[in-house]
Amino acid sequence: MAADHELLLWTDRRARADRVARVAIADVLRIEAKFSRYRDDSVATAINRAAGASPVAIDAETAALLRYADRCHRLSAGAFDLSSGVLRRAWDFRRRPSLVPTADEIDAARALIGWDRVEWDDVHVRLPERGMELDFGGIGKEYAADRAATICADHGIGRGLVNLGGDVRIIGPQPDGAPWRVGIRHPRVEHAAIGTVELRDGAVTTSGDYERYFEVDGHRYCHLLDARTGWPTGHWQSATVVAPLAILAGSYATIAMLLAADAPAFLAQQHVRYLLVRADGSIVCDTVSPDHGVRVVVAEQGRIATG
Amino acid sequence: MAVDVAATERPRSDLDPSAALIAAALALPGILPGGAHAQAAPDQGVVALRYYDYRDWQPGASRMSVRSPSLYAFVPLSSAYTIEGSLVHDAMSGASPLYHDTLSGASGLGVTDYRSAADVKVTRYLDGQSIAVGGAYSTERDYESRAASVEWRTWSADRNRTYALGFGATRDRIDSANGLALDKRRETYEYLAGITQVLRADAAVESTFTWSDGRGYYSDPYKLLDVRPDHRRIFAWLTRYNQYVPAVDGTLRIAYRYLHDSFGDRSHMLEASWIQPLPGGFVLTPTLRYLTQSAASFYHDPPFPQGSVPGEIYTADTRLSAFGAVTAGVRLSKTFGADVTVDVAVNMYRQRAGWHAGGSGSPGLAEFSARWIEFGLEKRF
Repeated sequence: MAADHELLLWTDRRARADRVARVAIADVLRIEAKFSRYRDDSVATAINRAAGASPVAIDAETAALLRYADRCHRLSAGAFDLSSGVLRRAWDFRRRPSLVPTADEIDAARALIGWDRVEWDDVHVRLPERGMELDFGGIGKEYAADRAATICADHGIGRGLVNLGGDVRIIGPQPDGAPWRVGIRHPRVEHAAIGTVELRDGAVTTSGDYERYFEVDGHRYCHLLDARTGWPTGHWQSATVVAPLAILAGSYATIAMLLAADAPAFLAQQHVRYLLVRADGSIVCDTVSPDHGVRVVVAEQGRIATG
Repeated sequence: MAVDVAATERPRSDLDPSAALIAAALALPGILPGGAHAQAAPDQGVVALRYYDYRDWQPGASRMSVRSPSLYAFVPLSSAYTIEGSLVHDAMSGASPLYHDTLSGASGLGVTDYRSAADVKVTRYLDGQSIAVGGAYSTERDYESRAASVEWRTWSADRNRTYALGFGATRDRIDSANGLALDKRRETYEYLAGITQVLRADAAVESTFTWSDGRGYYSDPYKLLDVRPDHRRIFAWLTRYNQYVPAVDGTLRIAYRYLHDSFGDRSHMLEASWIQPLPGGFVLTPTLRYLTQSAASFYHDPPFPQGSVPGEIYTADTRLSAFGAVTAGVRLSKTFGADVTVDVAVNMYRQRAGWHAGGSGSPGLAEFSARWIEFGLEKRF
């Protein structure tokens, strides 16, 4: 989770805010340590290391995340796949000079993807083939944001927000009852907002093609890889979704990016507010209902199209 | 070795995929308020410094005085554990009440003693319940006490009702300075059951029963001819009622305690306090308490009754006589900022045989008075 995080808490006592923040941050770090595939002692590493061998015992939290990932897989018709991390072996976004992988390289990685083949229940998980991997990165950060918000609320802090690298979960409105104004990053202009979401509760997250990518021959290849094809999605520059929980908003946004042209219909089915930025920079935005305490304001330079 | 993991579970759900995803999100631990992370533990720590100055007297004679500074701390260790503890050091000087001293001619020139005590308690908060384990130690020149306790609490999901069960054990050792009681022991077991019920948003009631069963040395080696039974059972029932009065932003606190002692004495205690917040962060709390108790079955007014035989069960201890007593006190506290509170309290106590309810009490006793002053400084963090 190498990103900018912030915790805004409103309370009459500085010391109280510090204490609650420490509890919340400790939980975020706990989740990071537990599910990071970069750490030798994480649950993810233990599962991946045992691929092709024996089942790994898991706790209730890991099982609940697997179940959640399973539902994401089903809802996205397979585009979201917790085992798709192996595509990184074909797509190296840090390598310079950048290189588009060959079809053979992509196929070799794809052969190791397959949530349907993962054996799991409430207490065990087993990857059937050596080389397979689970990557909780697509859901862990949002899950941590939701938990941090709940911890703050449970400790009596009802006003504030949690921002984990752009995944924003509201704890409660500003002290005067006003909504928080959350800027939506412009996908092509760094440090600029393409719009603003006003929220009193719930969460907003954005998935974009600008986070990790390379360009070859004028074509942008981003880190959002469709598990079914092994290729990056290129339909939208970014997808911003407002939902009651950060983990839901994050999943909807990721799935919207992967579903390409089907995204507006998919998001409408989920009854969530969204803002999609097309490859040409134009915006598709759902109708805004102030009744829900959510208002999406599009910055002046954005061109609005109705989805 | 390929162990078949539940034949690759493919959970079937009647929900459509959209609803199934939301259900799976809500099922994640710690997502819903009051969820899996044990949030019940208090999250605010407290350090308090107190100073207590006590003095009592009878007509024409200054008696006992006690000065004791104490330190208390409550520290949340995590969202599931808290630890609290206190240290106290008493300096006592003077004699015990008139007529009942071993050396009656030397009243006022008696003992000077020091007592040091410490206690610690660790509480573990679980889902809907807590378990506390505590220990205490106290020592002075002629007395040593060790205690251990365990207490379990559980509360309803809405937290409007709490049940408590407790058990404690105390071991005391007495080595009187005058050599009359050496290596005397006493063991006491105490059992507690309580319930707290929030009646409305502005009222709550708490009721606690305690039963203690002690065996060992109960006599007072410093009192002439004092011999008491070696088995003592005490039953006490304490009920408190709190009522907030929004019209004046004050709270009325009423407590009643009934106590039944196998030594034969019974007592009723009624207490009323009014907690009144004032402008500027001040809180004024006047308290009035009335206690009436009957004498122990082996209590006799001094002098030692004619015809009795030394060594028989007998006491002339004022604390086991029949009397009525009134305590009037007032506490003023002020909070600075959000985290610091300073308070001062003054209490007056007067005990008279004639104030005993439904009778004249033990007539052979002089009036007994006491006052104590407290200063407190508390910092929350």
